[in-house]
Amino acid sequence: MIADADQVAAGSVLEADVCIVGGGAAGIALALSLCNQDLKVLLLESGRMQPDAQTQALYAGEVSNPRLHSPPDKYRQRRLGGSTGIWGGRSVPFDPIDFERRAHVSHSGWPITYEDLLPFYPQANSLLEAGRFTYDAAEALGPGALPMIRGFASEVVRTDSLERFSCPSDFGRRYARRLRVATDLQVLLGANCTAVRLQPDGGAVRAVDVATLSGRRFSVAARATVLAMGGLETARLLLASRDVAAQGVGNAHDVVGRYYMCHIAGNVGRLHLNGPPADVRHGYEVTPDGIYCRRRLTIAPREQRRHGLANCVARLHFARITDPQHGNGVLSGLFLARRLISYEYGKRLHDGGEPSLRLYAQHWRNVVCDPLDTAAFLAHWALKRKLAQRKFPSVILRNRNNRFSLEMHGEQVPRAASRVTLAETRDALGMPRLRVDWRYAAEDIASVRGTLDLIAGELLRTGAGRLAYDPGTLEEDLVRFGAYGGHHIGTTRMGQDPRTSVVDADCRVHSVHNLFVAGSSVFPTSSQANPTLTLVALALRLGRHLSTRLARLPAHVKGCAS
Amino acid sequence: MKVLVLGGSGYVGARLAAMLRDGGTATPLSASFRQKASGPDSLRLDTRDPDALTRALEPVDAVVNCVAGSASAIAEGARVLTAAARSAGCRRLVHLSSMAVYGMAEGRLAEDAAVDGSIGWYARAKCDAEAHVGAFAAQGGIATVMRPGCIWGAGSDLWVGRIASFLQARRLGDLGIAGDGWSNLVHVDDVCRAICAALRCEAAGLRTFNLAAPDSPRWNDYFIDLALAIGATPVQRLAPWRLRLDTMLFGPPLKMAETLGRKLARNPRLLPAPMPPNLPGLWERHLQLDSSRAERELGLQWTPYALGLQQAAGWWLAQRSGRSRDEGVDLPRHDPAA
Repeated sequence: MIADADQVAAGSVLEADVCIVGGGAAGIALALSLCNQDLKVLLLESGRMQPDAQTQALYAGEVSNPRLHSPPDKYRQRRLGGSTGIWGGRSVPFDPIDFERRAHVSHSGWPITYEDLLPFYPQANSLLEAGRFTYDAAEALGPGALPMIRGFASEVVRTDSLERFSCPSDFGRRYARRLRVATDLQVLLGANCTAVRLQPDGGAVRAVDVATLSGRRFSVAARATVLAMGGLETARLLLASRDVAAQGVGNAHDVVGRYYMCHIAGNVGRLHLNGPPADVRHGYEVTPDGIYCRRRLTIAPREQRRHGLANCVARLHFARITDPQHGNGVLSGLFLARRLISYEYGKRLHDGGEPSLRLYAQHWRNVVCDPLDTAAFLAHWALKRKLAQRKFPSVILRNRNNRFSLEMHGEQVPRAASRVTLAETRDALGMPRLRVDWRYAAEDIASVRGTLDLIAGELLRTGAGRLAYDPGTLEEDLVRFGAYGGHHIGTTRMGQDPRTSVVDADCRVHSVHNLFVAGSSVFPTSSQANPTLTLVALALRLGRHLSTRLARLPAHVKGCAS
Repeated sequence: MKVLVLGGSGYVGARLAAMLRDGGTATPLSASFRQKASGPDSLRLDTRDPDALTRALEPVDAVVNCVAGSASAIAEGARVLTAAARSAGCRRLVHLSSMAVYGMAEGRLAEDAAVDGSIGWYARAKCDAEAHVGAFAAQGGIATVMRPGCIWGAGSDLWVGRIASFLQARRLGDLGIAGDGWSNLVHVDDVCRAICAALRCEAAGLRTFNLAAPDSPRWNDYFIDLALAIGATPVQRLAPWRLRLDTMLFGPPLKMAETLGRKLARNPRLLPAPMPPNLPGLWERHLQLDSSRAERELGLQWTPYALGLQQAAGWWLAQRSGRSRDEGVDLPRHDPAA
């Protein structure tokens, strides 16, 4: 059922088997997986069904370098469904190599393997409405599938993997009815968790404090508490809960908030493929199960190891939108309409300072000179995106001349100095605000460069095309818009050693026997993939762990035990 | 044991009669209002005719009521049947009811959940029929009520043929929230096996069983799985307004045309089948039948969903290719990459 925290008696202590803090992708997936297990589950969600400015303002915080990272209240949504209310829907699993300890990626290595997570991926795909768990192009698209680039066969640069796209599904809207009918699950809206209270010895959670914006306060005592508040907020709550553990919960070794990662992403280079445009699949295809999917270039794991590269993908992309030299009416139209587009999706259309009148004029000229393409694009966008239930995932231009740029999306090497901490200021509920100090390193840029060099080399070797880029501007191209927004990874990383990690292989905080974390903050490394699918799979895995751990003994066994 | 199967020409009744015959432990006598040829093991019978029914019940040890049809055939039929069974001295009765008796209730429901016949004539009739069976048991009968979900399998026009046609015509697909309800599919063989097990029961009184396979998926999953299995791809994601349009706007004229077509003895398949207005409500309803009692007390082992799907799709494809051969129509070829 779904209820409102303002209906809970002030000062009361609610009891549950599992208390989940945060009703986003991880929290909702976990809560649903715990239904019908004879467990009483309580899900605390700060927001309500719709976005609310006052609630959203609780996310506001500081950023060390605003050029490198968005303000903390952007790319996140504080409401039921969390940031799935604004996400793009790209649903890609991590690769087996992501879980390995790689000598060339410091602090790499998960305490679990790809195979440990594999059983949970298909259900995660299903929850995200991203279709079957098949990511091999031939398998997903069927035997008649055409290659990404005809004539380009390489064991170094692979073209056989896919990314799938969710509708994109808003978990709040999509699963509200499931949450409502579940009799063993209670969702409390408007419930902000403000502290994790430990037992005096620090070894267990006693209760979590809950406050509503109208001033009501109560607490929840559960056999297991799961923080599923997102990669930034979970660290914030742990750091802010200092009454028993002075450095914050689970932070005896100063790891909480560190190793903060996003992705290194940007448009790079000039790619010219040989052969006719019909031989290239640069945009979206539809699988038999009705899912939009897209090809990408990846580096074979063996080559990643051999060349010491972090994991990275490249998609065939169009020219930089802000530069009118592309002469494309659609791209110029996007540039001109950028103020109508939300911060999250318009960010990459704002390219530094206020554009000159001359720049505007050039973009207008592109629109006027390219009326057919612009009209066709608008019609397609209206039909396949605005009016469609399953939305065309992003702007794709007609391939007229086999000329592209590469859209890079790469893993960032974990580093302790990239971190979130508590700021001096406090929010409306008295919680210290967050301060984000995201950092990248030269090796992150070098890794993308190595990836580009391998792609360029293989294109040349096979005669499939030419890739040129300027190594001198590569770093600027990759960090022009700062960290890739919305991917908040690593702040409560998973590991075996409490000195370098916060949670163990079961997502349990090392020092607190009944406190768990669900979400991308537990990822020790960031992969080439977007985090949502994997964080949902991990939440489902945590759900199985909790249902086993908390399972009530059958009556006859209980009798024997007592 | 001699068993009278009422509704013996229907989907469940025919399969049950065959299973009883093949099993060798019982001799079925199949009765139906629509039975064409009366043979030694089948007869034509109006179940609302008390005298005829009593005569038919006199030589049998048990009766299974699989009668479908109008409200009167269901509710009045059950009243007449229980009265006739009492006069004929037939104590053993298995009655096929429906999950419709749970009304609009949602969540996971076991057999002790409240019944509610207020949602429509069908639920009302099923509730009334169950009440008659309850009274029969209270007077010393050995009665079993089965509450199946949607009975499917090869040959199921309702839950395979009709759905497959809608999928093929892209009138159905992934419905999102509107298809998030539980399908409660139960294989026709499982229903028949449950009935056979109930026939062996000796204790007087009433027993009620939900019947839905524990691995039966949500409707969306069923639609996508069946669409993939029959090559109705790529599966469409349909907006709720498309369903409303189909049922509300196109439904009534198509239904009239279908009825008219039958009367004129024309092939009603020439027109698209109407989409009944109650289906969207069923597809979005979060009711999950808890059938663990049937497992425990009847020892029921469920046909795996994957096997049921394979049989259902195989039947539909074979039937369609047979039909198109008859009609000289070329089948559209399935292109998996399309």
